[in-house]
Amino acid sequence: MNKPELLAPAGDLERLKIALLYGADAVYVGGSFNLRANADNFSLKDLEKGVAFAHNLNKKVYVTVNIAMHNKELEMITDYLKKLDKLKVDGIIVSDPAIIKIAKDNTNLTIHLSTQASTINKKAAAFWHKEGVSRIVLARECTKDDIKIVKDSVPIELEVFVHGAMCASYSGRCVLSNFLTNRDSNRGGCSQICRWDFDLIIDGAEVKGEKPFTFCSKDLSLIKYIPELIDMDIDSLKIEGRMRSAYYIATIVKVYRQVIDEYLKDKNNYKYNLEYEKVLRRCANRDSVAQFFDGNFGKDTGYYNGRMEITNQDFLGLVLAYDKKTNLMKLEQRNYFEKGDKVTIFGPNDEFDLVIDEIYDEDMQKIGIVRHPKQIVYIKVPKPVGEDYMMKKALDKTSKV
Amino acid sequence: MDFTGEIMKKVAIISSLKQAQDLKDLVTAFILPVQDYSINFPNTFTFDEINEIKAIGPDVFLVMNKSIYNEEIKVLTKVLKQIEALNIKGIIFYDIAFIQLKAELNLKTDLVWAQEHLVTNYETINYWYDKGAKYAYLSSELTKDEIITIKKHSKAKLFINVFGYIPMFTSKRHLVKNYLDYFNLDQKGLKKHIYKEGKTYPIIDDNHGTTVFSNYILNILDEDFLDDYLVFNSTFIDEKEFKKVLTDAHNFPFEHGFLYKETIYKVKKDE
Repeated sequence: MNKPELLAPAGDLERLKIALLYGADAVYVGGSFNLRANADNFSLKDLEKGVAFAHNLNKKVYVTVNIAMHNKELEMITDYLKKLDKLKVDGIIVSDPAIIKIAKDNTNLTIHLSTQASTINKKAAAFWHKEGVSRIVLARECTKDDIKIVKDSVPIELEVFVHGAMCASYSGRCVLSNFLTNRDSNRGGCSQICRWDFDLIIDGAEVKGEKPFTFCSKDLSLIKYIPELIDMDIDSLKIEGRMRSAYYIATIVKVYRQVIDEYLKDKNNYKYNLEYEKVLRRCANRDSVAQFFDGNFGKDTGYYNGRMEITNQDFLGLVLAYDKKTNLMKLEQRNYFEKGDKVTIFGPNDEFDLVIDEIYDEDMQKIGIVRHPKQIVYIKVPKPVGEDYMMKKALDKTSKV
Repeated sequence: MDFTGEIMKKVAIISSLKQAQDLKDLVTAFILPVQDYSINFPNTFTFDEINEIKAIGPDVFLVMNKSIYNEEIKVLTKVLKQIEALNIKGIIFYDIAFIQLKAELNLKTDLVWAQEHLVTNYETINYWYDKGAKYAYLSSELTKDEIITIKKHSKAKLFINVFGYIPMFTSKRHLVKNYLDYFNLDQKGLKKHIYKEGKTYPIIDDNHGTTVFSNYILNILDEDFLDDYLVFNSTFIDEKEFKKVLTDAHNFPFEHGFLYKETIYKVKKDE
């Protein structure tokens, strides 16, 4: 049984650092040819910094190059791959096999096959293995049995999505954005039409439930199944979400890190900790289920909520500095809080609760309420905290949320 | 486009044996979605029916474009061996298992690479050609200029959708059934659509999942650059209307889809 890699998304350099510091073994980032054209994405300069940061921690950076190329992208891709090779990224994630050929002919890049290629079965996996692909990111439609069969049949690394949003369609098999908004979904322009509401008409008459018809599905969470995935020798456990916030990344990565480590430390006495599930639920703004993994993709996996998604207001601020002489923590505000609030301050390997007693503004005047986004304040904290720490609302241990 | 007297490779996706008889003199080949192995088609064909249609005259391509699951591989292997004996023109596939099985079983039947929205450049078409797919079925989201460039550089023979509704979205999920079940709605009607902002999109939810189609019927037969396998898709189209279009494309309004409409996306320039 190997220790699987915990792989996290990183929309920018800040989130790359957060993901790695909070426990990810590797991150994947978007470059110039990826399916999140509207994410910040990495310039080559940032990528160079990110790779140096990761390698210094003995961790890895993969770059998504997973668009379905049109003719004009062919002219640019070779040069770009050579640049990635020079930066010593640890692998590229591709879906278009022409990129595999170009990469093999021109670079020494390690190649991972994207979930966009919808690999579900052992024969397709055998083909990609023969083609020199090092790792396959399996389709999210795979059940536990599908994953196991591929793993047992083909000597290739497997990466499995364990957390985050789902495509309503087979990945790559949707061009709703092209048709409805003229944005190319397979070149990074997906405008998430699957989350829109539609009228459903059957035999000429509208059929309407309490909420409108939509393709939208709940998110994925395999937190309960991590031990099974480890026992199956899955090589990489992947968290979705390059557009997600640093707080989200830190929280999700930390929980999955804890579960993986707890199980590996003492497999026989491992017990599933419901508290972790609560933390994940609080952090996300949508319900999550095991989706196809447990073979259930029926009515309860749909997300019929009229597009109402609760904006998460748990994240209160990002720690910028700590002064040991004054015990003051410098914080950049993210959500409203006030004196007397019970909060949790957490870092990669540390977490403690605190009732806020003293707050100061930038002029060191005492204040009672912190209401402005990105407002800089100072809070009295009895023990030192790091620059990569965060502050959130304390979780009510009695809550069922 | 007037087809009279020309050597045009017209291929028709048909829905019934009767339609095959009716159209046999108008097409070069039939495309037949295979029962249990094809998606995006409300009507499929058994092997007995395929044999009957094969005897009618025009060439036959089979559609086997569903994603293949591990438990289906064993039966699929047998089916592919049966198909080998049918002497058909080719298999239109999506799942890469077909490429692997063709090599493993040393199958002679040609393959048509038809990954719907991913057949978008000539290098990838040539890649699959080298792996055993002698035909490629172009995505419908390409511009005319892109198609012309692909034609210039491709080793493979090309299929191009020229008439019919275009599948936009394919899911394993039973999206209509799930919705009806979730809200306890009892509705067993057959003809399903979804509606948004003045546009109506056909939707089917069958054993293999859900497919949503374009709100319009593509008809690019007034274009003069088409000399490939031109695919006429009869799905949801009245049989008489369909026959009229096969006879003369001017019998139906022209709709150019993405031919003159480039989609927007963003490729950042690196400094």
